[in-house]
Order: sequence, then C-alpha cells, then structure tokens
Amino acid sequence: MTTPATAYEVMAVTIARELHDRELWFLGMSTGPQTILLLTRLPIVAMELAQRTHAPNSWMLVAGWIMNPVVAKAPNRMESEFGNALGEWPCEAYNNSLTMSYIAARHEIDVGFGSAAQVDKYGNCNTVAIGPYERPKVRLVGPINQPGHFSLFGREIVIMPHEKRNFVDRVDFVSGAGYLGGPDERESVGLHRGGPCMILTDKAVFTFDKQTRLATLASIHPGITLDDVVANTGFSHDYVPPRVGQTPEPTEDELNLIRNVVDPDGVMLPR
Amino acid sequence: MEPDVKLRSLSDAAALIKDGSRIHFGGMAVHNHPMAFVRELIRQGTKDLTVVSHVSANDVDMLIGAGRVRRLEFSYVGLEEFGTAPCFRRAVESAQIELSEYSEPVAFERFACSARGMPFFTTREMFGTDLPRVNPDIREISDPFGSGTYHAVSAAEPEWVVIHAPMADKYGNVLFFPNRQLPEDLDLTASRTTKNLIVTVEQIVPHDRVWQLPYLNLIPRFRPTAVVELPFGAHPCSCLHVYNQDREHLGHYAKVGRDPHTFEEYLETYVYGAGDHDSYLHLIGEARLAGLRHAGGELQ
Repeated sequence: MTTPATAYEVMAVTIARELHDRELWFLGMSTGPQTILLLTRLPIVAMELAQRTHAPNSWMLVAGWIMNPVVAKAPNRMESEFGNALGEWPCEAYNNSLTMSYIAARHEIDVGFGSAAQVDKYGNCNTVAIGPYERPKVRLVGPINQPGHFSLFGREIVIMPHEKRNFVDRVDFVSGAGYLGGPDERESVGLHRGGPCMILTDKAVFTFDKQTRLATLASIHPGITLDDVVANTGFSHDYVPPRVGQTPEPTEDELNLIRNVVDPDGVMLPR
Repeated sequence: MEPDVKLRSLSDAAALIKDGSRIHFGGMAVHNHPMAFVRELIRQGTKDLTVVSHVSANDVDMLIGAGRVRRLEFSYVGLEEFGTAPCFRRAVESAQIELSEYSEPVAFERFACSARGMPFFTTREMFGTDLPRVNPDIREISDPFGSGTYHAVSAAEPEWVVIHAPMADKYGNVLFFPNRQLPEDLDLTASRTTKNLIVTVEQIVPHDRVWQLPYLNLIPRFRPTAVVELPFGAHPCSCLHVYNQDREHLGHYAKVGRDPHTFEEYLETYVYGAGDHDSYLHLIGEARLAGLRHAGGELQ
C-alpha cells in the first residue's frame, strides 16, 4: 500500500482530471518561490500525468516555448521561464519566437493556469496593485500575460495559496477578467468565450455557478475541515452549498505515476 | 574602402543617451539585460528617461531606484524567483513615476509594429480588464471590415535601443547563437525599431567570422550606431548560451533593494564605487564569474 497522497498530489490529480485529450495547454511565468511551486511545478506534473492517463494527443506549451518536455528530466526547478539549462530539457518541440502569442490570439489554447495576489467571488484576478492604482498599498509585478489567459484561452485554472486575504469580494484591479460583476458581464464587454473554470487551493476546489457565476465550494481536500476552509476564505457571499463532498483522492495508479514516472526525484513537488 | 568602425568605449556610447530620451533596454525577465550599460548611465547622471519595455527586471528597477525614470511603458517589472522588483515597487507606491501598462503579448507587439513600420496594433485580449481604465494609451477602434470593436495600442517607437548580444565585429555586424530563446528574439525585433541602436557584446570577433557565419549575422552593420565590448556585460543577469544569471547576486539585490539606504549602499559599491566595467568585474571576482559560465557557450 502506498503512503497517502500529499496535498500537492491531490492538487495535481485534480488538475489532471480537468484536462482533456486533444487540447493545447499553456503554462507561463511566475514570481516568487511559492507561486513558482503552485503555478509552474504543480501544473507541469499534472499535465504529464494527464498525458499518461487519458490525454495522449494533448500538447503542453511550457513557458510558451518548451513543448511536451519530459518532466522527469527537468534540468532545474523552473525558477525562470528561460535560461541555458532549459534549452537542454528533452522535449518534443522548441518554439522560441512569438508563435505562442499567435496561437493564443487565434483562440487555439484550451487551458491556462493563473494565480494572483487576489481572486474575487466572480473569479476576477489581480496581479497589478493592492489599493488604489494611482498610489497603491502594494504594487505588484504587472499584468504580464494574465489578460490573455482570461480572454483568449478556452478556460483558466486559477491556483491559489488558501489564505483569507487572497479571497476578496472584489479585486482592487482586474488584470484577469473572470465573470466581472456577474452573469452576462463577460459577454457585455465582448468576451464570448473563456474565463475561469475553477479555483484550486491547497485546501479545496471552487467552481463557478452556471447561473449566478459566483464561486462555490465544490469539494474539500482529504484531511481538511469545512471550518478550516471557512476560516481561511475572505469571501462574504454564501459560497458553501448544503452538501460539499471531498476532493477525490488519487488512485494507486495516479500516485505511482507521479512518484515513480513523472517526478521520480521529487524535483517538482515537495514530498 | 574600409567601412566605418562602430566600436566605441562604454562611456562614449552611454553619452549618446541624452536626458529625457525614450529608450528600450533589451533582454527579458532576468536574462540578457545590458546591465553594464545601465550602470554607466547611472554613473553619468542621465535622467528623465522614458523607458519603453515589455518584461523588465533589475535593469529598469535599478534605474528607477536611482531616480532616473520619469515614465515607464511595460507589462512586468519583477525578479522571477527573487520576487517583486523592490525599487519599482517603492517608486510606484509613492507615485514617483508615470506608468503605461499593457498585457505582455501586446507589449511585445508594440515593438513588432515599429519594426514593421506599422502605427498601431489591434487586439481584444485586454477586454474586461482595468487596463484601459487606467491607461489612456489603450484606445477603442472599430474594424473598417466590420468585425467590431478592438483596442488599439501605439507602436513602441523608441528613440534608442540598447541590447546585449554575444558577438560583433568592429564594424557592427552582430552575431547570435542559432538556437535562440524568446529574450534574444525580442532583442532582434527591438533592433529593427530604430537606427539609434547600441549593441554591447561579450566579445569583438574578427570580421572574417562574419563571412564564415553570415546566417548568424542577424543585425548587419548598417544598423548599429555603436558596438561596445563588455565581457559579462549582462551580469548579474544571464547572457543566454554564454553564462547563467548570478542567483546569489540577484538574491542580494532583491534584499538590499527593499530599503532605500541599503539600496544606496549597493549603488555606491557596484555602480559609483566601481567607476568602470573592469572594476565592477574585479569586484565580483574572476572565480565567481568563471563559475557562471555555461558549457557549450564558448565564443568564437
């Protein structure tokens, strides 16, 4: 019997099950060690896991230019989006120019991964500023590619450290457009596709109600209590449905693949 | 007849940049920024710059920290694994600089427009965001062919472009490695946006090399105004293929940058105190620099 799944393994499997065959997946850059783990290393493991379990025709664009790399042969822990070591990562294709932007602009990317300092109840994300834009309390790195993730891609998986201050009713700045102020608002500003499909944290999964477009608690990870989730969620709307299930545990097969094939040396996910 | 020799000293090349210039520094994230040139601009006191950029790091952060940037057009200023850019953050939080921000591909495309002689780029990717609300340079436009409304953003149009590249000859032919990464491709695009181009290089190579490798001569000599030989001229950033970023130094920068006093001390040590590039390299130390070298990235 294998040892129980870690929170990261639960998250990786949750992402993998959200990814379908014959899709294009895009993974971009991140800032700071915590975000690099959640937004870069975790989805890489999930993407290869999906390719090995049910999505052999999918295609992953890592940092937009390294395509279908062999995760087990990663030269480092993805601290930067570029670099000499990454240029030697075994992969199926390199694509070193702006082609990725063109693929995105043509709406050919199905899934992206995003994170932010703030996410709100409609899934809007903020990587620009906390407080007023003109004189912010905390200035963040900037929009980077987040606008395109939420407007051009088919759907966005938002991955957040589950802390109260990150979950707000309304973001101070929209750099990634979720459902904006509610139903039909995306359509009213000309966004006819895409948007966030889930918020995944180290404690739970939120999805968006089809009618209200509000973030709703979909499942809680094994070993986590509802009280723990509520104590660490800053939303003030009623996001807890009458019945909340547990996030499905990884199967033996999935755990074996993660631990022995995809990330055998524990380079990507902490053990 | 011999062509013009474009080789210049660092101080002469930096003196070409006047106060108030509109300038782009090459490189992306923590890679390939012309850091030696940035340090020299700070030494020379060049100020009131408008920096037009896309994905910036310690290059722009240091200039902002030294108080030399009036306006910044950009998508990202940060240090990747080392976190937020400390001086940029401090300056914006105290409303010291004017900002004009775009999504990343749009910031790239502004340079592609200039390189193609096109006045503006159209996109829908910033729909729904607050960027058009805070950035008056993002305007609405209607497709004359009837597909609806778009955002228009102006071409980058830098007056000056400064990039760091592996090799050049003294006439200004600039050689690149064949398997380029995006930071290098973006530099090539930027190099085509103005005739006021300064290229700092790791090494000046004999003119004969260009004739042997014409397919790597991606910036031919009719383009640069000046080339400057600056080994480790991107330090502490990487120069792709040649050496890696100095993670210890960048980590140190991220830390000392958070406090104006320790940042002043950093400038005093690495910029003003080290009065030129040779002294800077001496200060970093030969052994440390040798340890950053990338196997297979030998020049010549």
